Parts: sequence; structure tokens; C-alpha cells
Amino acid sequence: MEAISVDMNRLKAGEVNLGTSIMAVQFKDGVVIGADSRTTTGSYIANRVTDKLTHIHDRIYCCRSGSAADTQAIADVVHQHLQMYTQMVGGAPSVHVAANVFQDLCYTNKDNLSAGIIVAGWDKEVGPSVYNIPLGGGLFRQPWAIGGSGSTYVYGYCDATYQEGWGREETVNFVKNTLSLAMSRDGSSGGVIRMCIITEEGVERAFVPGNELPKFWEGNEVLGAPLKTKEVSDAVPMPVDA
Amino acid sequence: MLTAPQKDPTPRLAPAPTPKTASLADTANSFGLHDTLQYGPRSFAAEVTATRTSGLKDRLDNWDATQDNLRLVMERNVYGMHMPMRRLMERKLVSHNPHMPALRQSNVHLDVLMGRDETLQPADFMMPASEFTQPMDIHSDMEKKLRM
Repeated sequence: MEAISVDMNRLKAGEVNLGTSIMAVQFKDGVVIGADSRTTTGSYIANRVTDKLTHIHDRIYCCRSGSAADTQAIADVVHQHLQMYTQMVGGAPSVHVAANVFQDLCYTNKDNLSAGIIVAGWDKEVGPSVYNIPLGGGLFRQPWAIGGSGSTYVYGYCDATYQEGWGREETVNFVKNTLSLAMSRDGSSGGVIRMCIITEEGVERAFVPGNELPKFWEGNEVLGAPLKTKEVSDAVPMPVDA
Repeated sequence: MLTAPQKDPTPRLAPAPTPKTASLADTANSFGLHDTLQYGPRSFAAEVTATRTSGLKDRLDNWDATQDNLRLVMERNVYGMHMPMRRLMERKLVSHNPHMPALRQSNVHLDVLMGRDETLQPADFMMPASEFTQPMDIHSDMEKKLRM
């Protein structure tokens, strides 16, 4: 008798997707993390005000991109892991520890998952730090990291604009501008910008609604505009020898 | 019921797809050969593990064991090598049941240790016990149990 077979990949095809733009930047006193707010299922926007900045510990947040279900499951496991760790060690875990727990899960399960995660936060030992964990499950510490489908459009802008030694205001502007550019070009990113500024003192959430996003060149339709006819009323007849 | 702990030291979030295997062990007789009298002529299609038709079935079957294993691996990483050993030891101690295999078997202590003391399965409230009474052959049941 033929058993009914279910194609697991087909099940994953229509699932809820965090096609997205996420980024995290480290500055002198802390980190600024930001993300857009669009979650899509195919071409339908399942949630236009998603919060992709997930609390992992008091001063450690992660930005999630990829499959919504996969990243939520991973974040839950890491959250539980770090709670047990805090009880055991008697203090807050460092961002390095959190990032390594994420990396362990992402690499071990790389055949089953599609998750790109940026972990960022502040800890006592090192201060601010940003760790990037792309699809394969590698771990990279960087001063700034971008991720998600929208990030491909803004690598050039980020490389050209980023300066070391920025303070809080400049970093927030950098994140805002980068995410706006990514959201305006990428179909799977959009909505509002959510940011978290994590410092030793605490975590502050910032929100930029869709109508207050910084505007850049919006595009201009050139084809189809009426042809500009040249004025010839001031033409002077040329003297000709008879 | 004690779910078999998986021997996987890595933190798998979901069951890994089981590989296709072909094995003579299932149909071997005492000579170690394929038992044609009992199972029919030997065929490769029959030897490849039948359950491999659907990844979903394997995933669901192994789900609870995998989640339990994930918890044990996490505890090993946070507390040390001793922790999963202690948990498994506690479960084994608690599963010891000196009574006869009577009709109703419930082990609250094991449920608490496995973390399912506050969950309800359909089997818990949808099976009228009267429909499933086996003829009470307590002697053979006890023999089976004690020779374990």
C-alpha cells in the first residue's frame, strides 16, 4: 500500500518569512540595533508592525532574519539557556557567551534552519559588542553588521558612511538612514523602523513611523514624459548671397 | 512511560531526518539468513526501511525525545557533565514499580520529572477503560516483567 508522503520542503515554502533589513552598530558607550517591521508569507504581508528585536537578556538583544518560526524557536532556547546560566554563574552573561550559544544552535541545526541573526549588547567585561551569525552558522564579531534581504542594497552606503568614534546621535542617524534606504529598495522590507539603544544604564526603544522615514531620491519616470519642443520663434534668417 | 533518551550530544532543535537503511536483521532466522518461510522471498524493496516514505512521520515520532534531549544537552552545557546523568538516574529510580502489572498504571512522580504533570493528552480522558480490558493473566504478565 502506498503511504501518503508529505514533502517537508513544500511545507516550508509558504511559511512566514522575515525578509528583512536588520542592523546593529557599536558606538562608544553601547550599541544601536535596528530593524524594519515587515513579515511576509509569499507576497502577503502577514505583519506590518513586527518587532524583530528580541530580548535575550537584560543588556543583550538579537535581530532576527530568515524564517520567523526558526528564529523564534532559537531565540526561545537561548533565552532559557541564559536564564539558567545567570542562576549558575551569579551574574549577567556576556554578549560573547550569548553569541556562542546562538552559533552552537545555528551550526548544529544548519540542515533544518534558515536563520540569520545579529546579536548585540553591552557587558561589563568588554563593553559594547556586535556579533553577526549568518546562514551557515559562523560567528563574526564586527563593529557594525547588517543582515536580511534588504541589507544587500546598502552595503555600499554603509561602507562609505561608517566612521569609528561616533557618539550615540550619529550612530542612531546612521542606522535610521541605512534602514530607510534598504526599506525603500527591498520589497520584503518596509513598515516602520524599530530601534533599541543598549547602554550600561539600560535599554531605550525608539520608533520611527513610516511617514517620518528619511527620504532620499525617490525615483523619476523619464520615459513617457512629453517631449520638450525647442522654441524657434527667435530664429533669425541667415544672410544669403543672392 | 520513559521515553528513550537519545544518544546525541548536540543541541538539535528538531529531529534529524533518519537515513534510509536496508537491513537483513529484521527478517533473519536463527541461521542469520533471510527467513523465507515467515516473510516470503527476499526483496530489496521490502528490506529498505518502510518508514522512510515520509519525513513528517519520523519527525513527529521523534519529537518528544528530541526536545527532551535538547533540554539535557542544555543542562550539560550550563551545569556540567553530572546534570543529565542525575536526571536520568532520577527517572530510572522513580520508574521502578514493584507492583503487578494491574489495569491502571500511573506514575505521578515520573510525570513530574518529565515535566508533563500539568498536561493532558487525549488518551487521558478519551479512553473508557472498560473497552480495553485485557483478560487478566497476571502470572504471564509478572513473568514477562520480572525477566526484564
